[in-house]
Amino acid sequence: MSAGKVGTWEIGEIKLPLSEAFRISLENIRKRFVRAAITTASIVLGIAFMVSILLMAQIQQIARGAPETIRAYQYWLLFISLLVSGVGITNSMLIAVAERYKEIGTMKCLGALDRHILIFFLLESLIIGGVGGIAGYIVGLIAGIVYGYTQFRPSDVIGALTSPLGTLSMLGAPTVIALLLLSVVLAMILTMAASLYPAYYAAKLNPAEALRYEV
Amino acid sequence: MRYEYTVETEDLAKYYYMGKYVIKALDGVNIKIRRGEYVSIMGPSGSGKTTLFNMIGGLDRPTRGKVYIDEVDISKLDAYELAWLRCRKIGYIFQTFNLIPVLTALENVMLPMIFAGVPREERIKRATELLERVGLGDRLHHKPPELSGGQQQRVAIARALANDPAIVLADEPTGNLDLHTGLEIINLLRTLNKEKGVTIVTATHDLKMIDVSDRIIYLRDGKVQRIETRAEVAVEYEE
Ligand SMILES: Nc1ncnc2c1ncn2[C@@H]1O[C@H](COP(=O)(O)OP(=O)(O)OP(=O)(O)O)[C@@H](O)[C@H]1O
Ligand SMILES: [Mg+2]
Repeated sequence: MSAGKVGTWEIGEIKLPLSEAFRISLENIRKRFVRAAITTASIVLGIAFMVSILLMAQIQQIARGAPETIRAYQYWLLFISLLVSGVGITNSMLIAVAERYKEIGTMKCLGALDRHILIFFLLESLIIGGVGGIAGYIVGLIAGIVYGYTQFRPSDVIGALTSPLGTLSMLGAPTVIALLLLSVVLAMILTMAASLYPAYYAAKLNPAEALRYEV
Repeated sequence: MRYEYTVETEDLAKYYYMGKYVIKALDGVNIKIRRGEYVSIMGPSGSGKTTLFNMIGGLDRPTRGKVYIDEVDISKLDAYELAWLRCRKIGYIFQTFNLIPVLTALENVMLPMIFAGVPREERIKRATELLERVGLGDRLHHKPPELSGGQQQRVAIARALANDPAIVLADEPTGNLDLHTGLEIINLLRTLNKEKGVTIVTATHDLKMIDVSDRIIYLRDGKVQRIETRAEVAVEYEE
């Protein structure tokens, strides 16, 4: 903050209420749906993969009574898949920034501080992360249920696996809810982390350069 | 407070270094613009008009020299103070309108007021008044893609005036408009200049702009070639 007097000027405060920033970010996602959807797809795939692997391990564990069935290589796969989805998000956010050079320059002309530009992009990624986390969780859950159904139905060892609700109740509410929280939090952290560099880059753009850019 | 000169530049220079070449986009420009003046900056493509705008508007740092806005040397400002300058002291109008495409006309005009910390009720009231003033009272909730070029530029003019700036900088405001619409925009700028006493500086190729300008500054190769006041221009026309 450097509100105060400079020469004959009375420098006032520059503001951006979070509610306004949120509204503008949401509007940006709505109006640029295709771009946002591609970014979201990246996170959905990563999270769905994670959820389905964790679920399958759980189902196997319950069905077979075996103790720990997630193997080291599966953790590796998980890690790699999340990394790939993170790189996908970074790439997609960089394109989003490039598409909006002129807008960023204009925002700065209207009084936006660097950190306001940062906030716009990070809020966007946070929203995308939240939505992507929930969607990924649902997709992963369905994949896990389908797995349990196709894998164990013939033997009919466990009757519960023949219906989705049965599978869910067999897993138990704590597991199902913990997985949801894990998905959403991880998706948000991952999208934020992946968007940090693009958002920082956007925030640091020199307004004259940003305005010169012809889209 | 009142200052005699709203804009003053002193030996203003901007060089771009491209490998071993130096492009002198501006090279020793001294101009003084009075409060309430309507000044046009004319010059061929590449003469440095946009560069001069960026310097006066606090969008880029000069290589040499000084820019004073209302008697403050803006090269001494930090990032926060520069943002305040752009928000409160200067209104920008561009050839390509540069409205925020996802926001409505009203929201676009309110945006600079958000940064200035104007309360919501007052923002809506003032933005509505400004849009009515530029003849768009019936287009408040339209988004830029639903507006014509001339209408978009009117929104941009209303937005430039949102925080009652000392100066409006317009870089080729009629460059993307047809003759008739361009003339409407020029007349609107001139009327607002008279009405609100706001200083207007436009860069232009548009000869229609000469008629409404108090002074015309001719730029060439980054230098001021000559300055004409309207009286002189009128005389030239008669000859
Ligand atoms: N970022 C930059 N890097 C390198 N050269 C630049 C840059 N910006 C401007 N120039 C050069 O500086 C000179 C002046 O450019 P400027 O954009 O100010 O001209 P202009 O008078 O606005 O032209 P136009 O009428 O075409 O808009 C040109 O030679 C241009 O190529
Ligand atoms: Mg130009």
